[in-house]
This record gives sequence, structure tokens and C-alpha cells, in this order.
Amino acid sequence: MPQAIDFGKLFSLFTYDKYDPLLFGSSLFLFFFLFVLLVQRLFSNQKTLRIYSLLFFSLFFYYKAAGIYLLLLLFSSAFNFYFGKLIYESKTAKLKKIFFITALIVNLGLLGYFKYTNFFLQIINDLELGTIEPLHIFLPIGISFFTFKALSYVIEIYMEMFEPVKSFRDFSLFIFFFPNVLMGPIDRASAFLPQIEEDNPITKEDVGRALFLISCGLIKKYAIADYISLNFNERVFGFPLRFTGVENLLAIYGRALQGYCDFSGYTDMALGVGLLLGFKLMDNFNRPFKATSVGDYWRRWHLSLSTWLLDYLFKPLQISFRSMRKWGTALAIFFTFFAVGLWHGPNWTFIFFGILHSFYLIFGMFTQPIRKKFTDSIKITGTKFHKFLQVVFTFHLLAFTAILFGSPSLQYTLDMMHQIFTFFHPEVFPQFVQAYTTIFVLIVFGYLVHFLPKSVEEKVKNLVIKMPLVLQAVLFAIVIWIVVQFKSAAMMPFIYFQF
Amino acid sequence: MISDKLKQVIQKELNLKEFDLKAETIASQVPGWDSLNHINIILAIEKEYGIKFKGLEILKAKNIGDLQKLIDSKIPA
Repeated sequence: MPQAIDFGKLFSLFTYDKYDPLLFGSSLFLFFFLFVLLVQRLFSNQKTLRIYSLLFFSLFFYYKAAGIYLLLLLFSSAFNFYFGKLIYESKTAKLKKIFFITALIVNLGLLGYFKYTNFFLQIINDLELGTIEPLHIFLPIGISFFTFKALSYVIEIYMEMFEPVKSFRDFSLFIFFFPNVLMGPIDRASAFLPQIEEDNPITKEDVGRALFLISCGLIKKYAIADYISLNFNERVFGFPLRFTGVENLLAIYGRALQGYCDFSGYTDMALGVGLLLGFKLMDNFNRPFKATSVGDYWRRWHLSLSTWLLDYLFKPLQISFRSMRKWGTALAIFFTFFAVGLWHGPNWTFIFFGILHSFYLIFGMFTQPIRKKFTDSIKITGTKFHKFLQVVFTFHLLAFTAILFGSPSLQYTLDMMHQIFTFFHPEVFPQFVQAYTTIFVLIVFGYLVHFLPKSVEEKVKNLVIKMPLVLQAVLFAIVIWIVVQFKSAAMMPFIYFQF
Repeated sequence: MISDKLKQVIQKELNLKEFDLKAETIASQVPGWDSLNHINIILAIEKEYGIKFKGLEILKAKNIGDLQKLIDSKIPA
């Protein structure tokens, strides 16, 4: 007998459920996205309808993730659109500044309220300055990302680098655009908005590129990041004292790879999805573990955030502190990385993560001449061996910050260090490889692919782009099959969703 | 046009002997013009011309031509 349709269940697909957002890679997202593509195709000659439908789908996507806090996204769009206009049209520099500062206060004030109120209340309680119960504050998903995106618009108008857009519709699409609203990339208004005007058609090459990106993203997220996290990293990070030093060290390597694959996997998918809708979003990564210094790492990791902070925070601070020369730059680095830590969330581990990075950079800056003298004296400056040493050393400095990133609290970080330095037991390594063969293979595979020359990636990408559509579809089906083999029953949220 | 005086200040700060500095030249095209030297160049210009820039003015300058215009606007003709 045919089953009756459960309309309640069907209805729930369209309503907000905090445990069930439309995650990239979920089957519901796949249906949603296919429908979006179909509508885009249907309106291919009607730009207005196409944009309005994208706005509608983007709002629905955000509603599925944040419910009523959709209103906050609408407010952000309206507020920043009108303040951009006010700043631009101000007759005097003073008025311009007043509007700009108001825009900063409102944007950062909202971000601060939702993200940090309870953290500050906790500090007040810890310092015994008072006893205040934590407030029930919902953290609207993606708030750090869309706030920074909107801020780039008002900042660039204030700095006279960009003129405000006339269309509120276009500006709203920039803020709401579903591929990057929850977890970035934090695209710049000046890069995104002209694309709506240009209205570039989607080429066959774009489709091939998008499929390549989405495939890479799916494998990074589900076959590597989630798998090694659930089956190994989480176990060690949850109880570091139950494991030997060698296992703790491997979990740190695993955690560094997981962090990269999780976030860059999401970005790949966002870029691919964006491309299929006719938009080129900013790339966030350029093989970060190949960095030869911590400074180089920040030119390769989370680029949309690092360049945002470089342009709008570091440079203005550095200019203001210029009379202190190197010390002024050091101070600018410190404040910028303190902001990096705080941006990631209200937790001391993140703040220490930021401060530690600032120390790495400041130390690197002051010791640069001495280090150069030393490498010159032993005649290795600029050699392949020198570069190798730099990469290995930088990687371990970064891996250490990955512990802070993955630990629930500072105590766990200390426990891990304790195990590595006092309870290493290298003889456990062969047993580890035997017991966790898949994990070991995945970690080695992940790093190997990461360190392959860029030309190899380009060759593979071009091969996929030039393939006939049928072969591309077969390849994509294989990727999905692989992902299904690895995927855990419960989908794990992306790490950067919490930010 | 970039004045010889400005060229000299930049060349001296960066230890550059021969480098053709044009109005459209941007910092990343000039050897050694990194963020640390950027500050040294700005300070050297301020000292040489006896002027003081506002932070926003420097941030807005995209190339050496913009820098020259900024200097010109600060010194009486």
C-alpha cells in the first residue's frame, strides 16, 4: 500500500532547526542547490529575476541556519548600505568621521554583544568583581564573517577607495550571498559588487573548475578532516594523559591537517558553488604548511581575514605608531594578532593563539638580521636545505598553536606538552601504525598532496576542466561514492561555524 | 612627474642605486620596499620636507605619483 505523505516532516525541511542547517555536502543541500541552479537557468535571460531569486534562496539558507536572527542579517545590510551613502555624501570631514565611527560602533557592538558578553561577564566573576549570571545569548551563525564583509564596504568608502553602490538589491546580495555568508571567504565589496554589474556568463571551463573545487572540498572535509578527527584526534585531545607522547605528537600533526582540510575544504566548496552561480569568490588558502616563516604563513592561511586585518587594522596602526619605527610595527603586530585571536571566539585558548602568533612575528622581525648573518656565515642562505629547515621549523611553530586551537582549555594544552616531553615512548609508533592504519595513511596522504608542487595541481585541474561533461559527471560520482564510504552517520559541523 | 628630491629620499632609504621610479610605480615593484621600509620612507619624507602626513592620506596613496601629489599639496608653491 502506498505510504501517505507526512506533511509535517516535509514542512520541517523548510523550517529552522538549530541542529540541522543546510550544510554543504548534505543531501538536503544538494537538492536545494540543484533547485537554485534550475531557477537560475530558467531566468538566464532575466537578470532582475535571477538576482531576486538568489536573494530569496540566500535568505532561506541563512534562515535554516539561524532562524529569527535572519533579521540581524537584514539589519546589517540596510544599516551598512545607508551608512555607506551617508559617509560618501557627507559635506565635511568631521561629519564623515562621525558617520564612519557610528558605523564601526554599531557593527562591532553587535558582534561584541552576541559573541563576547558572557566571556566578559565570566571575567568579572573570575576576578571576583561581582557575581553575574551568564545571559542566554544565541550566537547567530556567521556573524563574524558577514559583519567583516559589511565593514569592508563602509571602510573602503570612508577611505575613498570605493564608491557606494546605488542598488540596495545588489548590496543585499553581497551581504546575503549563501555560498559565503556562514563561513566566508570574507569577500570585499569592491571585488564582489562589480560582478553583479558585469553579469559574466558561466562557461564550460567554469563548470569544470567548480566540479574540481567541490570534489576537492568534499574529500578534504569528509574523507580526511572528519575521519581523522572522529577516529583519532578527538580521542587524544579529549584525554591527552591516556596516550603516550608519540601519539600526542601525531594527534597534533593530525589536528593541524584537520584544521586545514576542514576550513579549506569548506572554502573550496564555497568557491565552486559560487562559480556555478556566476561569481568568483576570493580564495582563502595557498598551501599554508609550505610557509617558510610565520609571516609567510599569514600570506597563505585564511587570506580573506588576514588581508582584511592587514589593510584595515595593521596598516593604519603601523602608520599611527610610525614614530616608534620597529617598535611601532611590533605594537601594530601585537594588536592585530590580539584581534585575530579574539575574532575566533570568546575563549582564552584563542586569545593565546593570537598572542603567540604576534610573538612569533615580532621575534622574527627583531632577530631577522642576526639570523641572516648566521645563515650567511654557514653559507646556507637561500639554499634548498635552508628552505627545508625553515619549512620544518615554521610547521612545528604552527602545530603548537594548533594545540591551542584544538584544546578545550589551556590545561589540555599543558597535558599534551607534558606527555610529549616526559612520556614520549617512540616504541609505540609501530603499534600505532598497525592499530590506526587508515588514519596514518590519511595523514601521510594529506600532507603529501599538500606538499606537491603547484604545477601538479594545475595539471590535474586542467585535465578535469578539459574532460567531456560525461567524464566529469562520472568523476564526481566517484568522489561522492568515496565520501559516502568515509562519512560518519552524524554529520560534523565545520570547525569555523563557531566563529 | 616625480621630483629628483623624492627619488633620492626613496633611493637612499632603500639603498637603491639604479631603479627607475615612475609615477605609476607601486611599492611591491620596488626591491626592498616592504612594510618596515615603508614606515622608514614615510618618516624620511616627512623629515626631508618638514611636513606631517595624516594616517588616512598615506593609506590612500596607491603609487609614487600619489605620494608626490600628497607632498606637493603640503608644501607652499
